[in-house]
Amino acid sequence: MKRIENRYALAFIYLLLTAYAIFSVIPFFWTTIQSFKTPRQANSRVPLFIFEPTADNYTDLWLKAIPDDPFFIAIVLVAIFGLLVLVAINARRFPISRGYVYLAVLALGFAVLWSIPGYIKTQTFYDYFLNTIIVTAGTICISISIGCMAGYGLARYSGIAGVVILVAALGFRSLPGMSYILPYWWFGQRSGLYDTHILLIITLVAINQPFTIWMLRSFFMNIPKEIEESAMVDGANRLTAFISVIIPIMWPGIISTALFTLLLAYSDFLLVRILTQSNWTLTVAISKYAAGEDPGHITLAAAAAVSAAVPIIIVVFIFQGQLVKGLTAGAVKG
Amino acid sequence: MGFASHARPTIMKRRTFYMFMSPSLLVMLALMVFPLLTSVWLSTQYMTFRNINEPEFVGLANYIAVFDDQKFWAAFTFTMTFIAIAVPLQIFTGFLIAVLLDQVSRRIRGAYLAAFLMPFIVVPVVGTLMVKQLFESGGLVAWAYREIIGSRFILTEQSVKSLIIIHALWAATPFPLIVFFAGLQTLPEELVEASMIDGATRLRQIRYIMIPHLRSLFVFVGLISIMDAYRVFDSIFVLTEQNPIYKAEVMMLYTFRTAMSVQRLGKANAMSVITVVMILVVLVPFLLRTYKEQTEER
Repeated sequence: MKRIENRYALAFIYLLLTAYAIFSVIPFFWTTIQSFKTPRQANSRVPLFIFEPTADNYTDLWLKAIPDDPFFIAIVLVAIFGLLVLVAINARRFPISRGYVYLAVLALGFAVLWSIPGYIKTQTFYDYFLNTIIVTAGTICISISIGCMAGYGLARYSGIAGVVILVAALGFRSLPGMSYILPYWWFGQRSGLYDTHILLIITLVAINQPFTIWMLRSFFMNIPKEIEESAMVDGANRLTAFISVIIPIMWPGIISTALFTLLLAYSDFLLVRILTQSNWTLTVAISKYAAGEDPGHITLAAAAAVSAAVPIIIVVFIFQGQLVKGLTAGAVKG
Repeated sequence: MGFASHARPTIMKRRTFYMFMSPSLLVMLALMVFPLLTSVWLSTQYMTFRNINEPEFVGLANYIAVFDDQKFWAAFTFTMTFIAIAVPLQIFTGFLIAVLLDQVSRRIRGAYLAAFLMPFIVVPVVGTLMVKQLFESGGLVAWAYREIIGSRFILTEQSVKSLIIIHALWAATPFPLIVFFAGLQTLPEELVEASMIDGATRLRQIRYIMIPHLRSLFVFVGLISIMDAYRVFDSIFVLTEQNPIYKAEVMMLYTFRTAMSVQRLGKANAMSVITVVMILVVLVPFLLRTYKEQTEER
């Protein structure tokens, strides 16, 4: 389109866009600043922008006691996780299937995370962090495995049953979580699964399943039928063709869908709030910091909010390409 | 497709389809269809935390209690007000910013988009907590309010409601924004150029070219935004957690409190059944349209 040439009009456009950009990011900016202040500085009458930053809020939040050699431990941890991320990003360059590489990276990552409390005295906040990881990872693994099969079936089957399932799933997706979660709560109380990770994982899988199958289906539809047909002519049955021919070229779609599942599972609040007593995930744990009477709670809440936001921002930053792909795949069909 | 696909040896049989579909279908039947039915059954029972195992059948008494409940109607009214204010505001702002962003040079768009999408990426509870930080006693907005208005910013029913709507604008506008922006990129160049030659003004272009081009997206975004506004919970829960006296309750929040604080589980389930029925009224025409589209596609 022909651009606007009037200089004043253009300046006005930039002014509006910048104002909206500031509106969008100012809560992040301010919360990050507050999280590095002492409670006294954070409550000062005139907002402080120049002050001596302190990391006390973060250490209070995560640690019971500061280890003797914090820098050494920090460097080791950053090195280990940096290496794991590098391996995961370059998974397709390894001679074995990508799935195994991801599994190995995940297993190693978990082993390191779980062994940390053995060396450092951590707060309960770290336990909530681990809970979040278990629940998110469990949800992704189950949801994607069963979703891939369903999405593939839906993309290839031409009967009317497929459409009925898709539309019904869309309907279920649109209902508020509350209408499922109260029965889940009752079920959890009666079966004794209340406050366990298993209940959280299976219910999160169910709630996200409609979204997962719609998205995976649209990725499978982009894979030409001829690819598995040639394998099936060679004598492979459909399941073998699916596992050995289709899945290996579906990895971009699987990763995109897994990312969205990650975002959904990580940010779920209502379900976790109702189905747990103490095995909280981060979202529920940080909502507890929002309420508080003592002046220290503001800075602690700021540190908690930043701590919960950073993993997501890192994930989005690393995988932004896949997220855009997922969004466009959804939008084309949406 | 037609004849050609029938001739193919590799067309998917119904049996194979159900084999692939069954794990997912089982999960959805057991954890979506069955709970909804359970919810209907629970709504006819009197149940607190004490008699979970032996609920007492009370028929439609819970529904009568809901319709007699002033607080339920207050929550209903606020939910509707919230939808009526927040959704048009989000769509208008999203459209405006998308059109403006479309005018600036490509190089700078990325930076703006990254900033605009921040509230969308971050976890809702975290985002709410961050917005709340601005209004805390030492917060930036609280300070500006004191400097400009001259009195302290305090949470009243009115200010909490405004806060909720400001937060909704902040948190939910990125969605219409990104959808409209993507839609504008598919606008045919010739159409715009032809209108320029005809001497159309910018405003007329927006009115007669852009808006008709984005019509289906407006419907899509409108529907999703209404649904999201209807079930908003996380943000309002966090914003009002300390002070439930402010009556800024939406239906989801009131259902939650009825179930978890007041322990009237039957009544809470009755409310959620009513909610589902109300949503289905809006949803069914849309689902029928999707069904038609999908059947035509094959």
